[in-house]
Amino acid sequence: MSSERIEEHRRRRRQRWLEVLREQGLGYLFMAPWAVGFLVFMAIPLGWSLYLTLNKVKLTPNGFDYTWRGLGNFRDAILLDHVYPVKLLTYLQEVILMIPIIIIFALFVSLLLNQSFPGRFLFRAIFFLPVIFATGQVLTELFSQGAGELPFIDQYNVKPLVMEYFGPRFAEPILGILGKVVIILWYSGVQILIFIAGFQTISKSVYEAVRIDGATPWESFWKITLPGAVPFIGLNAIYTIVDLFTFPLNPVLEEIKNNMFKPDTGYGYASALAWIYFAIIFILLSVVFLLLRKAARRRRRV
Amino acid sequence: MRRRMRRLSLSSVLLIAGLTGLALFMLIPIVYIFNHAFKPLDEMFLFPPRILVQEPTIVNFEKLFFATSGDVVPFTRYLFNSIIIAVITIFCVITVSSMAGYAIAKLRFGLKGLIMGLIYISLMFAAETVSIPRYLIISGLGINDTYFAHILPFLASPVAVFLMMAFIGQIPNDLIEAAKLDGASEVAIFNRIVMPLAAPAVATIAILTFQGVWGDVEASTLYVQDEALKNIAYYVQTLVSGAQNNVAGQGLMAAASLLMFLPNLIIFLVFQKRVMQTMLHSGVK
Repeated sequence: MSSERIEEHRRRRRQRWLEVLREQGLGYLFMAPWAVGFLVFMAIPLGWSLYLTLNKVKLTPNGFDYTWRGLGNFRDAILLDHVYPVKLLTYLQEVILMIPIIIIFALFVSLLLNQSFPGRFLFRAIFFLPVIFATGQVLTELFSQGAGELPFIDQYNVKPLVMEYFGPRFAEPILGILGKVVIILWYSGVQILIFIAGFQTISKSVYEAVRIDGATPWESFWKITLPGAVPFIGLNAIYTIVDLFTFPLNPVLEEIKNNMFKPDTGYGYASALAWIYFAIIFILLSVVFLLLRKAARRRRRV
Repeated sequence: MRRRMRRLSLSSVLLIAGLTGLALFMLIPIVYIFNHAFKPLDEMFLFPPRILVQEPTIVNFEKLFFATSGDVVPFTRYLFNSIIIAVITIFCVITVSSMAGYAIAKLRFGLKGLIMGLIYISLMFAAETVSIPRYLIISGLGINDTYFAHILPFLASPVAVFLMMAFIGQIPNDLIEAAKLDGASEVAIFNRIVMPLAAPAVATIAILTFQGVWGDVEASTLYVQDEALKNIAYYVQTLVSGAQNNVAGQGLMAAASLLMFLPNLIIFLVFQKRVMQTMLHSGVK
């Protein structure tokens, strides 16, 4: 009797194990093609490029020639290079100015698009359309043809005005941004959609309740819509950072690419530049994450 | 009551007017691409630049096709390469990433946390920076000068998996459980339930992948040496970089960029409704 029960118990346990194994196996099976591709074309190249940062890489007729340099590439990039740090800092300045502009613009437009009026789906499509083309080649073409610039900057001589009011130090990034206004608008498509999706999560009854309590639309925006949209502002900030930093025309990436094929610097040095760049993106993203978590905690306390 | 109605309609008229203005502003670059391609040379160099064309001509397109007819490899060959690469890549990316997305969203397995972390991190690396290690791997596998060199690097797209993961995650578990109770196999669940419900995400991935592949010059410049296997984006780029410094080349460039742009526009218009749905559901690109 008891031995039978033990047998039964064992059988059941084995069955459960088999089931777990089966599910695990299935998961790995479905995952496998992507994982292999990822390993071969993403993870290994990344690891490899990290190794290359510590070497001087020369292209010779019979393959690549590595010379160990330790952290020499990083030292050169920070202390000796007189192009890269300047480009990096200028771009960083520009991005930090652009992030709030993009987010505020997206918030504004999504608030408008969130109203009900005839044809809003058409408008949503138009505001989203540019994002679809904004990748790669097409945008490069547009930029090189100057389609991103506002015609009135040249026509009305805005440049000296900006110089006068903001001083030469801030004039440069401000003019840079003015020159890319259309492109900035182009870059807010996904952000607008994220905000619209976010507004759907705030329930209608809250608005009705405060309206009955006598709140104006203005007040209900500041007290309900904006606090409710905080997580989406964070998501948008992260998305915008990633988007701007992996932007194909980004001067920093261009500088890195230039260095790849320069005989005196080479691929090892370019990899070091790229990893410095990634580290900065990573720090920026971590700051946003920290702020987000803080905001979430404060909200929970209230 | 009537007064309130009128005020409401006034505000919505204002709203639509404002949005129309903004929308027109957003459309400027597209209008510009179309107009620029049809401009005769003298209009191209007007200062201040004008967006709309005054006297449209098709001389730029004629030049583009004449420039191409003298080469060893005909224009149509590049076009054929691009189309076949795009079709195969889209199909493979959809298969691979939807399987991976389903596994992460609905199946339990050990390394899931690690894989999700890898996906998030790899979203932020720009592909350009790993092009040389990729080159070494591709030549190590011996697939230079094949279509595989164009296709395989796209398969491990973190964005596609990320999207599928977010979208499949929203399919209710009850639906899958019910199918399991009815005796459906995992493959049947995937094919008959998950894939049809994830159609909007599939459409989005198709568009994003198409753009990536269509505009990709990396494979043609670095991995493929055989001229007959390069794609149209590469061809247009060589034309453009050859023509960049002379005045007459500007027309060629304008016409070529319109040609590169049109397929994107068409694909977007075809899939647009589906994409909007995905974006609104998953909240992330």
